[in-house]
Amino acid sequence: MTDLDAEVEFHFAEAVEALVAQGWSEAAAKAEAERRFGNRRRYRRDLERIERTSKRGAFMSLDRLSDTLATDVRYAARQMRRRPAFSSIVVLALGLGIGATVSLYSVVNDLLVRSLPYHEEARIHIFWMDDNWRGEEYDFVRERRGVFDDVAAFSTNSAPYHSNTSASGSAQLLPFTVSTASLFDVLGTPPLLGRAYRADDDRPGAAPVAVISYDMWQRDLAADPDVVGRSVLIDGEEVRIVGVMPRGFFFPTPQVKAWLPLRLDPSSPAYRDVGYLSLVARAREGAGAALVESDVQRLARALGERFVYPKAFDKTKNPSTTPVHQYLVGETRQPLMLLLGTVALLLVVACANAAALVLARTTDRRAEFAMRAALGAGRSRLARQIVVESMVLGLCAAIAGTAMAIAGHRALLARLPLRDGFGEATAVGWATFAAALALGLVVGFAVSYAPVRNLVRGRLDAAVGRERGDGGLHRGTRRVHDAIVVGQVAVAVLLVTGAMLLIRSLAELHSRDPGFDPQHAATLTLEASDKTPDAAMRAFLNETVRRTGSLPGIRAVGLTSRLPLRDLFYQGPVTVEGRPDLLGTNRPSALYRTATPGLLDAMGFRLLEGRWIDSTDVATSLPVTVINESFAKHMWPRERAIGKRITTAYSGTPISRVVVGVLREVRFTGLTSAPPFAMFVPLTQHTYALTAVLVVRSDGDVTSLLPSVRRLVGELDPQVAVTRVETLQQVVDNSLLLSSRLRFFVSLFAALALMLGSVGVYGVVSYAVARRRAEFAIRMALGASPSRVRRAVLEGGLFPVVAGVVLGSGMAAGVARMMAGLLFGLSATDPASFAAAAGALLVAGVAAAIAPAIRAGSSSPVEALRAS
Amino acid sequence: MNFLQGTLDLLILQALSGRSLHGYDVVEWIRTTTQDSLRIDDGALYTSLHRMEQRGWLTAEWRVSPKGRRAKYYGLTAEGQKQMRAGERQWARFAGAVAKVCAAR
Repeated sequence: MTDLDAEVEFHFAEAVEALVAQGWSEAAAKAEAERRFGNRRRYRRDLERIERTSKRGAFMSLDRLSDTLATDVRYAARQMRRRPAFSSIVVLALGLGIGATVSLYSVVNDLLVRSLPYHEEARIHIFWMDDNWRGEEYDFVRERRGVFDDVAAFSTNSAPYHSNTSASGSAQLLPFTVSTASLFDVLGTPPLLGRAYRADDDRPGAAPVAVISYDMWQRDLAADPDVVGRSVLIDGEEVRIVGVMPRGFFFPTPQVKAWLPLRLDPSSPAYRDVGYLSLVARAREGAGAALVESDVQRLARALGERFVYPKAFDKTKNPSTTPVHQYLVGETRQPLMLLLGTVALLLVVACANAAALVLARTTDRRAEFAMRAALGAGRSRLARQIVVESMVLGLCAAIAGTAMAIAGHRALLARLPLRDGFGEATAVGWATFAAALALGLVVGFAVSYAPVRNLVRGRLDAAVGRERGDGGLHRGTRRVHDAIVVGQVAVAVLLVTGAMLLIRSLAELHSRDPGFDPQHAATLTLEASDKTPDAAMRAFLNETVRRTGSLPGIRAVGLTSRLPLRDLFYQGPVTVEGRPDLLGTNRPSALYRTATPGLLDAMGFRLLEGRWIDSTDVATSLPVTVINESFAKHMWPRERAIGKRITTAYSGTPISRVVVGVLREVRFTGLTSAPPFAMFVPLTQHTYALTAVLVVRSDGDVTSLLPSVRRLVGELDPQVAVTRVETLQQVVDNSLLLSSRLRFFVSLFAALALMLGSVGVYGVVSYAVARRRAEFAIRMALGASPSRVRRAVLEGGLFPVVAGVVLGSGMAAGVARMMAGLLFGLSATDPASFAAAAGALLVAGVAAAIAPAIRAGSSSPVEALRAS
Repeated sequence: MNFLQGTLDLLILQALSGRSLHGYDVVEWIRTTTQDSLRIDDGALYTSLHRMEQRGWLTAEWRVSPKGRRAKYYGLTAEGQKQMRAGERQWARFAGAVAKVCAAR
């Protein structure tokens, strides 16, 4: 018999004996003892549980804790239901903060933290002079690869493509990468199906094969189980699919859907002359950064001994490698981290808001807490109750936030400052949920901090003696409230200042002249297959320009090879007449663009002097060129550029061209960078033209004319793919896409912070006014004018706002310096942005405090006394 | 629940103040002192006793009762003493508050 049973047995023996002694019958006494004891089984169970607790020590106190915790949670849920408005405001504000934070966190985690889909990515390096290696150099480097296990060359391109071999249906544009077979060894990712291409596929004349992405397999080829061995038409050529890469694999961007062998041909002139490749290498296991660095120096010296380099493309200068991670996602780091910091601050503001509300609630509930304390609940018990209530709020917010993160993930990705395609490499997953949950708990804990501190310092339970609860606002509560407002306002000022800087920077960029007229003009890219004979292509292009020009509403039509602001590359060394100092390796580099006579009006270029390309410039006439303003100014600072000669070797053999015109500065590489040298040559005097950019200008709305232009092109040659259809205004906007997306988010978060800050100020001031209503009423009864009371409330409410503005401006000055790289045309301490942010917060503060102040000024003594 | 717990604890601590009693004596003492007006289950008093023992407010030892039965005797520890004083103060405050409220009407 256990001690417990012995004790209960003893109790019953004594009880029955006592009752019998009082004259009860034995049976009645037994029944009575049972009745007095109550539900014996239940107490027996309770007692056993208590016993267990003492025996198992620490373990069991956990058990007991979970027991009381369940009670606390039930109580907290009841409290939430009792105040639905309060609870939903807190949950929504916190949920918004948590949702935004975890969404961005998951993107940052997927793109910047999680490893790329390659084997031991830390060993993979990209060589310097990206996009600039010649086939000959690649073979040279690979033979001397030293510390590298293997080296691969690749280049990304796109071509028209049909998912069948009969070329039926319209062509799509397929972005693909051509690479040496070694690419798959360098990356170390085995295919999901089939095989990667091998050295014998990567040989001139080998049968064309391709490895495709999981995405292409699933979407374009309908997840065909027999996809390996199937043929598709890429660039007019039948290509056999030999492998499918696993889901999530990408290189070098997620947009690339297929990989084709490079098939370098040492007998072709391009092998020695054209630099368009990037080099990627896998370092030997255990090779550290220092070893890689010194090996790259050795390679550069070897290259210098073997090849002669012009100054602009000198591969012996500053040889270096970039880790593949940095190369692929490095440029998104700064904007993403800035945004993550911004949402984290927003979450802090939301937390501060919730903390202020919870503190106000606990202050109002001090009578309840005092009563419970009097009934034997210890302070730690009450503190735990507050913490549990806040945790429940935090967890509800986490659930709300997760829901928002899931619902908004696509929309968020579409607007993030990411390079195209990278959004597809991210997803909301378990990590997101875990992060939301953890944040919810942290937030709940943070929110309960102020009230618990007040409780522990004995500021809540001293209230019992006070019959009237509104004898003024507790000083502790007010101090915490003020501190919360200061913090909230400071963070809001910080965010609004950042947003103002980005807004003004972008406005500055938008006001810059791109050198063409983006209004009422649009562009389409026409891509023909490699197999198209040059004469046929020319006939097609001529016909396209002629027929498009006669469409109703079209004012001008032109063709070029690459569109300013959007398309890069096609640049090389030029020899300039009259500049003997700029010869050999000192030759300047210039962008090389073709043009038709109509391009001047279609783009809206402006001629500074001379003439534009016209119909008299034909293949057999004098080779001419029109150059841009900086080219002319830098080459011939004190002379006229017209009539000077520029020699290029773009069409293979060197051609000397006479400058016949100079264009007012055109921005080629972006609105933020200095304009490069550029030259336009007549399309008729250039031999290679398989890709052409069509530019059309209309009298009115240009987008409504685009379908007829497309239809026309389709009628002229159904094999030509029409791609990149956009207005010139979109081209300008896209060049500022990263900046405007960043601005969009920072502005959004700043607006939310401003709103939450205002709500916070309003809440705190109205709360103080409500608590001090009787005091105001008495003051006014004793002769204080309502306007004086109003002013006092306003001043009291604005003091922490002003302090927050000062603090926030100081913080912003520090943070702005870190984002200087994202600002253009204004300094990181731009006074207008700072003033606007401070002004916005002060106005919001006054607006938020004014309604409660007016209420305070209209307190009626009778009403106030009756209410209490 | 909290009311009952706090009050029960205080009652038991009072019963054991300055002496040691076994469970049945505690029950009887409370019943007679309150003239059975609280109607508390005997079982509830036992859970309270055990809980306070576990918290270290009470000591317990098995002895033989005057009637010759083995019984578990409880007594106050120093902590129990302290808790009793605290409970008395809280109770007085609470009762005072309630009294004032009633008087104000």
